[in-house]
Amino acid sequence: MSKIIPCSHCHLEFDESMMIVENENSNTDPTLHFCCNGCQGVYHLLKDDGLESFYDKLGKNTLSKPLARGDDSAKFDLESFASRYIKKTDEGFSQVHLIIEGIHCAACIWLNEKVLDQTDGVVDVSINFTNNKAKITWDEDIMKLSSIIDKIRSIGYNAYPYDRTDSEIKATKNKKDFFLRMSIAIFASMNVMMIDVAKYTGYFTGIDEEMLRIIHMAEFIFATPVLFYSGWIFFRGAYYGLKNRMINMDFLVSAGATLTYIYSIYVLFGGPGDSYFDSVAMIITFVLVGKYLEVLGKKSAVDTMDQIKSQIPLEATIIVDDGKKVVALDEINIDDIIEVKTGEKASVDGVVISGCSSFDESSISGESFPVDKKIDDKIFSGTINTQSVIRYKATKNYANSTLNHIVELLEDSLNSKPKIETTTNEMSKYFSIMILSLALGTFMGWYFYEGSFEHSLIIGISVIIIACPCALALATPIASLVGISWLSKEGLLFKEAKFIETFSKIDAVVFDKTGTITTGELSVKETSISLTKEELNILYSISDSSTHPVSIAVKKYLEKRYEDLSHLELQNIEQLPALGIQAYYNDNIVYGGRLENNVEYATTIYHFTINDKLLVTFELEDKLRDDAIETVKYFKNKKIKTILCSGDNKQAVANIADEIGVDHFNAKMSPIAKADYIKSLRDAKKVVVMVGDGVNDSLALSRADISIAMGNGADIAIAISDIVILNDKLSGIVKSHYISSRTFRFIKQNLSISLIYNIVTIPFAMAGFVIPLIAALSMSLSSLLVVGNSLRIRKKSVFKKENR
Amino acid sequence: MNSILWIELVVGIIVSFTLLGIFIWGVKQGQFDDGKKMMNGLLNDSTEDLQDAIKKDEKVKKLKEDKKEREKIGEKKG
Repeated sequence: MSKIIPCSHCHLEFDESMMIVENENSNTDPTLHFCCNGCQGVYHLLKDDGLESFYDKLGKNTLSKPLARGDDSAKFDLESFASRYIKKTDEGFSQVHLIIEGIHCAACIWLNEKVLDQTDGVVDVSINFTNNKAKITWDEDIMKLSSIIDKIRSIGYNAYPYDRTDSEIKATKNKKDFFLRMSIAIFASMNVMMIDVAKYTGYFTGIDEEMLRIIHMAEFIFATPVLFYSGWIFFRGAYYGLKNRMINMDFLVSAGATLTYIYSIYVLFGGPGDSYFDSVAMIITFVLVGKYLEVLGKKSAVDTMDQIKSQIPLEATIIVDDGKKVVALDEINIDDIIEVKTGEKASVDGVVISGCSSFDESSISGESFPVDKKIDDKIFSGTINTQSVIRYKATKNYANSTLNHIVELLEDSLNSKPKIETTTNEMSKYFSIMILSLALGTFMGWYFYEGSFEHSLIIGISVIIIACPCALALATPIASLVGISWLSKEGLLFKEAKFIETFSKIDAVVFDKTGTITTGELSVKETSISLTKEELNILYSISDSSTHPVSIAVKKYLEKRYEDLSHLELQNIEQLPALGIQAYYNDNIVYGGRLENNVEYATTIYHFTINDKLLVTFELEDKLRDDAIETVKYFKNKKIKTILCSGDNKQAVANIADEIGVDHFNAKMSPIAKADYIKSLRDAKKVVVMVGDGVNDSLALSRADISIAMGNGADIAIAISDIVILNDKLSGIVKSHYISSRTFRFIKQNLSISLIYNIVTIPFAMAGFVIPLIAALSMSLSSLLVVGNSLRIRKKSVFKKENR
Repeated sequence: MNSILWIELVVGIIVSFTLLGIFIWGVKQGQFDDGKKMMNGLLNDSTEDLQDAIKKDEKVKKLKEDKKEREKIGEKKG
């Protein structure tokens, strides 16, 4: 019996009988199994170059199959390319920025860097693991860029250049700046906390004045850089806020921290009371970590945009009087004749004038099956020619073409991703204003009542200290952490914790059809077939002669239904673009595909004829995902509106909508129409979730409050989405919603706990009853309560019980 | 007793701030730009990798020298 074993190169698992085996009977060398020739080739290449330690570094990680090697690397040496992407360094070397496809783990980075380092003429290679961007410096006198790209392709990866924009340089610089400020804040806060252990132990066991002064001095030294270096951005924010006559969060953070700092210095130099340098450091650090996460989010939006832009073709071939000419996209004029070869992308919109072919329009419609194009049919920019060379006339220039329009809209919406003001932010805004006013009131009250400036100041500041927003600051992150780790164990990746809150407040879920609600794979509807054995074998052979998804579906259907099918030798097999396959068998004309009989079919059709006599017609349909109906039902039970959107025709969408029972459906929607629809829902004050998988959904995904991509979706859709369902099951959305709602409920509980704590303790502080020891203890207690409560979120079997 | 503590405090602070200084230098050099790669750095920590790093330095030095040489020859010809 055959067993499932991993490929020796990519580690993906396959049936042993399907694999290429090497050294099977060797006693010395280990037996090798490869899933394809590509893996076998790369394995031997690495071995020959002495890089087999790659496999030790790879460990249990898997790779994707080696990408097919393109033969277009010569274009990287063109003048137009060099002027756009290649820069010269001060030393006279050339430098290019690339995005490398196919990187999965640290071992992939190591391998790429190592292979390029060993290449003659390469001066420096640095690949970023987080965004898979590479910076390569090389000597152009020794080698060309095309050889570098070929080298990367030879080991199973792919590389394409991207334009390093100002926004990326700025985002990278900003990220570095925040990282440094945050690291120093964390370093100093950790030291202050360690010193705190000694301080608070001293309160219990007794501590002399001199010792306390040493401790305060050490805390002062560590807290100072936190406040003035790390916390500088809050002062800057507060200044700009005040300039615009606004009291913002930055003002409250900096005012609170500075007041506490000044008071603590007063204590350090002999004033009565206790110093609170620890609070200063902690407040700044907590808020700064939150800000750093925001900066990371912005950086990843820039990276996503670079990935999208690098997919745009660089130039197009236009037909001129004396032959063909390669021009940059901006130079294409309306009415120019453009030639698109197989595998190339259309660069501008237009109309076919000669030839016929099939185009992969998944980036526009989301449908994964190629669309046939003949004379007078429209061609959309960004779609890929999959069959034969065609020529078309440009009806729009590049700036007005669909592809550029989508890219521009995407850029806009990524930069202004909708943000729901988080509850904690909203609360802490009012909370801080309230605390500051209470502290001020207390100070004034005591000053007028008692007349002692010093004592009034201590009491006023102790109000701020006891209200130290530790529990408030912990309330959300701790609960989110528990929620997020539960979600990730279920294969549901939330890119940011704030989506937990947004997801628990949704009003509408918009589903894409193909690939999301359906599997995106065609299957043949049950049909009665009355064919002779020979005709059946001819049908099987002709359906096996094409790689078109329709032919493959028919072949699979036949294999499932009949056992003893055999291959017949067909002659003169000819692909009729946009139609099907024609061949000869014993002088009979055999045809499999769609007949041009001017009949509009609601579904995809496959005809089989011999000598023009129609023998059988297959109807193909897209299969529903197993859990589609339950998913829609769950949201309907929760009174959340369910909507189906698709680029497909009305009948097909209506059938699916009826089957799964959504509240509403929209058909024939372009990517822009989908995005506009999402926007209209949001304008009506609805919190909208969009679930999609294709490139065509990316614009709508970027417009939604929450975007969810299925794990096997297009790279761009995954890059844009907020939540990724790794196991590719729709039930993951239900689980995400359930866990988010439960986590958010606990966040609210935590916030109530910390507020109640403050409501109880602040009056005591205002009355002047709180000594520092009590303040420290009660502060820790409130934090512990919040942590303990959060740990209750993850209760086993709670999901099943509540959904029964 | 307390004077020892004062000395310890000063030494401790000097040591920690020196380490912090080294860390800041690392950040400015771009060693921490890539979080994921930094965390996986252990994988590339073998003797073989260190030797490769030295070889790479030598290779880059040679490339730079060769480039200068070529430029000089080019200038003379020009």
